[in-house]
Amino acid sequence: MRVRDVHHSYRRRVVLRGISIELQPGVLAGIVGENGAGKSTLLKILSGELRPDRGTVHHGGRIGYCPQEVVLNDSLTVRQHLEFFKTAFGLADLRRAEEIMETLNFAAYLDERAGVLSGGTRQKLNLTLALMHDPQVLLLDEPYQGFDWDTYQRFWELATKLRDAGRSVLTVSHLAHDAERLDELWQLREGVLDAHTGTSE
Amino acid sequence: MRQQLTWFATATRCALIEHARNRFAMVLVALFLPAWVSLIHLAIPHAPVPFRLAATGELLTPHGNELTQISGALNAVCMITGFMMFAAAFASGRFDRRLAMAGYPRTHLALAKLAALALISIGVVAYATAAIWAWTPPRQPLLVATALFSAAMTYGALGVTFGSLLNKEVEGMFAIMMISVVDIVLQNPLISSGADSPFVPYLPVYGAVQAATAGAFSTSTPLRGLGIQLAWFTAVAAIALVAFHRRTRNALPPTATAELPGPPPQSRSRSG
Repeated sequence: MRVRDVHHSYRRRVVLRGISIELQPGVLAGIVGENGAGKSTLLKILSGELRPDRGTVHHGGRIGYCPQEVVLNDSLTVRQHLEFFKTAFGLADLRRAEEIMETLNFAAYLDERAGVLSGGTRQKLNLTLALMHDPQVLLLDEPYQGFDWDTYQRFWELATKLRDAGRSVLTVSHLAHDAERLDELWQLREGVLDAHTGTSE
Repeated sequence: MRQQLTWFATATRCALIEHARNRFAMVLVALFLPAWVSLIHLAIPHAPVPFRLAATGELLTPHGNELTQISGALNAVCMITGFMMFAAAFASGRFDRRLAMAGYPRTHLALAKLAALALISIGVVAYATAAIWAWTPPRQPLLVATALFSAAMTYGALGVTFGSLLNKEVEGMFAIMMISVVDIVLQNPLISSGADSPFVPYLPVYGAVQAATAGAFSTSTPLRGLGIQLAWFTAVAAIALVAFHRRTRNALPPTATAELPGPPPQSRSRSG
């Protein structure tokens, strides 16, 4: 994924002032920044949800985007979500989705409606929908919100496995405590992306 | 072809499941509709209301309560389908977008909403026609049902439009309720002395009111009324489609997300 000179503002409030990123296959990268720094805006632009005021985004393949705010249909069960997205992605089966569900430990909720699931379980489904088509570029916006410690660890194992399989993973967080798990870490401050100081890499 | 059918069938099934989970709407249909039609029949005076039906030029003199029953049923089916479609469109706005960005064809998502609306309208209208029939058998029940159906479809499309454009749930509910009240009340000769004013033919369900009234109290069939209603439905549905399209659009080229797994990566670009 190649991003060149992306600018964006909401009316007069300038959020991004020239973001450039080069994300190679097999890289696990992170972006940190304070609340309101523009992290989610950047990820929305990278995923295609938002058109930037200026700049270009090049993608090398399938994108998987896990939005910060859980995007589900509360009336549908977990299984119905998987079937719906299986049709959307044109998948032959749900093997991969089932593997992710096993890893994240929520396969037992298959026939529960999304509306009655706990916050953490909803987030697990939110993440599964982003990963079930084996995307080459993963854009994850605070993907572990509401996860318990065990699931949090499993999430990182999953992300590392995807990186090792040659996928590009870009995760966004407002904290830098996962720095040691990342190959690259940037900080978004005042609309500009800098190498994060104090990264263990 | 099979793929097209799978897209359409899956989306329609999910749309219907979503509507079926709207318990409040189900209660409205089951209880409010017959209660409303019955209350009108019992509470509104029986005195005849002579008026000239614009669509056919006939002078009709139905009982006030029977005339208002038709208005009441129209009002109820419009509010129910409008409310159901609004609630679904409002709740699933971001979800539809996510599906579209995952590669779900938007045409099939939109067609599925339309199919769900048509199925709901058929059910609600059949029930409403039966409720009217229980008190006053219409002269042409099929025409009454067709008129109610065309009105229900129009308000359903209006619901999708508001669901895609408005930011607050209460705004959409209020908008649908107010529009439908103004629309129906102004057209009832019993309530509004302006029912034959030059402004009335431009109301959203004018065509359906003309056709339903003829169906209930006359033997003529005002095709023009149904035609006007069809034009209203087409116009509102087109606006709904544009609103839906805008809400679910992808800023990246469509091919970037519609790929199937497996093909070798290709470079895709976009200039912002």
